[in-house]
Amino acid sequence: MSSEPVTTTRLQRGTGWARLRKLVGSVVGRREAGILVVAVALTIYFQIITGRFISGSNFITVTQLTAATAIIACGEVLLLICGEIDLSVGNTFALVPFILLFCTQADMPLPLAMIVSLAVGGVIGFINGCVTVFLKVPSFVATLGMLFLLNGLTLTITNGYPSAAPTVGQASVVLGSAPASEILWAVGILILMQLLLTRTRFGPHVIAVGGNMMGARESGVSVPFVKIASFVMAGVLAGFAGILDSFRVGSIDPLQGGTEIMFMAVAGAVIGGTALTGGSGTVVGAFLGVVVLSLLNDGFTFIGISAFAFDIILGGAILVVMVVNVYLGRLRIRRLSQ
Amino acid sequence: MDEVELDKAKATPGLSRRQFLTRTAMGGAGLAGVGLLATPANVIKAATGGGGNFPTHPNWKFTFVNHVTTNPFFVPTTYALQDACSVLKVSYQWTGSTSSNVTNMVDSINTAVSAGVDGIATSIVDPTAFDAPIANALKAGIPVVSYNADAPTPLVNQRMAYIGQDLYASGQAMGDQILKVVKEGLVAIGIATPGQLNIQPRFDGAQAQIKASGLPITVELVNTSASVPNELSIVEAYYLGHTTMKGFYAVDAGSGEGIAETSRKYNFPSKGIHTGGFDLLPVTLTAIKDGFFGFTIDQQPYLQGFYPLVQLFLYKLSGGLMFPCDTSTGLKFVTKSNVGLYLKGKSRFEGSTSKELLIK
Repeated sequence: MSSEPVTTTRLQRGTGWARLRKLVGSVVGRREAGILVVAVALTIYFQIITGRFISGSNFITVTQLTAATAIIACGEVLLLICGEIDLSVGNTFALVPFILLFCTQADMPLPLAMIVSLAVGGVIGFINGCVTVFLKVPSFVATLGMLFLLNGLTLTITNGYPSAAPTVGQASVVLGSAPASEILWAVGILILMQLLLTRTRFGPHVIAVGGNMMGARESGVSVPFVKIASFVMAGVLAGFAGILDSFRVGSIDPLQGGTEIMFMAVAGAVIGGTALTGGSGTVVGAFLGVVVLSLLNDGFTFIGISAFAFDIILGGAILVVMVVNVYLGRLRIRRLSQ
Repeated sequence: MDEVELDKAKATPGLSRRQFLTRTAMGGAGLAGVGLLATPANVIKAATGGGGNFPTHPNWKFTFVNHVTTNPFFVPTTYALQDACSVLKVSYQWTGSTSSNVTNMVDSINTAVSAGVDGIATSIVDPTAFDAPIANALKAGIPVVSYNADAPTPLVNQRMAYIGQDLYASGQAMGDQILKVVKEGLVAIGIATPGQLNIQPRFDGAQAQIKASGLPITVELVNTSASVPNELSIVEAYYLGHTTMKGFYAVDAGSGEGIAETSRKYNFPSKGIHTGGFDLLPVTLTAIKDGFFGFTIDQQPYLQGFYPLVQLFLYKLSGGLMFPCDTSTGLKFVTKSNVGLYLKGKSRFEGSTSKELLIK
């Protein structure tokens, strides 16, 4: 037992340490902590190897690699939580910017053109949702069909030609052409989706539908509404991501996005802790998962890995990251159940 | 388990130091695993020091950004990079997109700029998307050249030079060849990725030449897709829907291969259908030898790696005195009369072998 008198200072110090531990624990105890640790560790690793990974310009590059995929991942998380998937988001990503282009070329005011083009993304999601819910086609198959349909449609209406991004004056700065605008949109959407999942009734309904659909239905949750709404949101977010990325690059390509960005978005969601089987998921985790993938992509390019070996190393790294993340998740669950 | 997680998410998150350190160690172990994968063996490097008569210089790193990094057409290009690096004692990175994804290519250029590489060579396959990244690279003091595909004229893009085939002129040359054998009817021209600057100018050149002739020839563009297996199916399907065509040509390697195989399958020569294309895929060359494909045009992909790297190296070595300059890598027609040279053995210059061979 300490001989030091119990003073206010000692009490405050003890309380302060306890508070700090509690704060650190509250962060580290979250499901996303594992992936956050991996992201930080990767950054440190690449910095040690290259000596200049942590720089302003590379930070912008990583955020640009992250933003569009993260926005799509936010929508994909909703679907994964309620037990579905949308394979066509990458092709919605490619189509919607062209709709915006055609609207602006028809002298439609930009706000209206944005609404129309995002509505197209929503309609695509709506169709996906209706086919899945009412026609009982598994979402994998339904959205696979939509993927091909959209691919062909985009190629047809564009004759396969890329186009310059729409001319919208200063608005392009807000819509992605400024270096930080895309990531700011991604963070904003992340916050909105996190609030949707945690602060509204819709969030628990999505989780309930994915975790126990029968139980959710019997509890009065409208399963069709939840699923279709999730598909619509995924479609709108994919379309918006496509618009942002088009302004960032300055060009719209009918071949952009596609299955590559879709798989990266799903991979980011899963790496971040969203269950492929439904009932559980986190948009923050998905965002961090995409950040990890972007760090790997950027970091290996930074190091100088050439194309042929790139996918071997990237694939291996993703497996390692996933194994670590799963292990950290098990540790956390074991602690929670103690 | 997941439902339990949700229910217990509100549990007070106390954490012992031991558990926190365990988790951090696991993260570090994972990172070490990643590090093991990205060992220097996987990074293309050459020895430092001078090469030949050149003075000692740093091991400069040159990044080559490509639109189809795993396409067999560019295998000789990567061999050329290895050979040039070996001679000049520098290193290269081969990166970009596997599927003509412009965003990926732009990101690769941006990453190379952040990494402070010593030079960048990129194919420019989009009219505007590469303007800003290349300008940023030049602003950062990194020399940039384009190869294989160039920005449109009038030139807004600030790349220092273009090394490759004059794509529009090559299309015109193909148009002239077509006009020698086709005087009327339908001529279809297959193209994998319409609009992209590495092949669209060829189509434009051919179409312009045919149109200028005044002959009653209808030119149709056939979008064969960027996937080589798909290209064969699309080519065959097009032919079956247009069996009275007079000519079926290609402006890219994959489309040419698809047409060569379709020509062999349906015996185009017996039906009076003329063919031709670009690049030197083995199927194409064999079809020329066997009389099923009229010609192909060689743009010497080996030189499209060798020359840009040498030019960037000399720019660095001379402190900017040796400025990169536009260089044509040739426009050679390969027909039945000279295809034997390409088929007589394997060659690193054509990508059919990785061995260094003296070819006599």
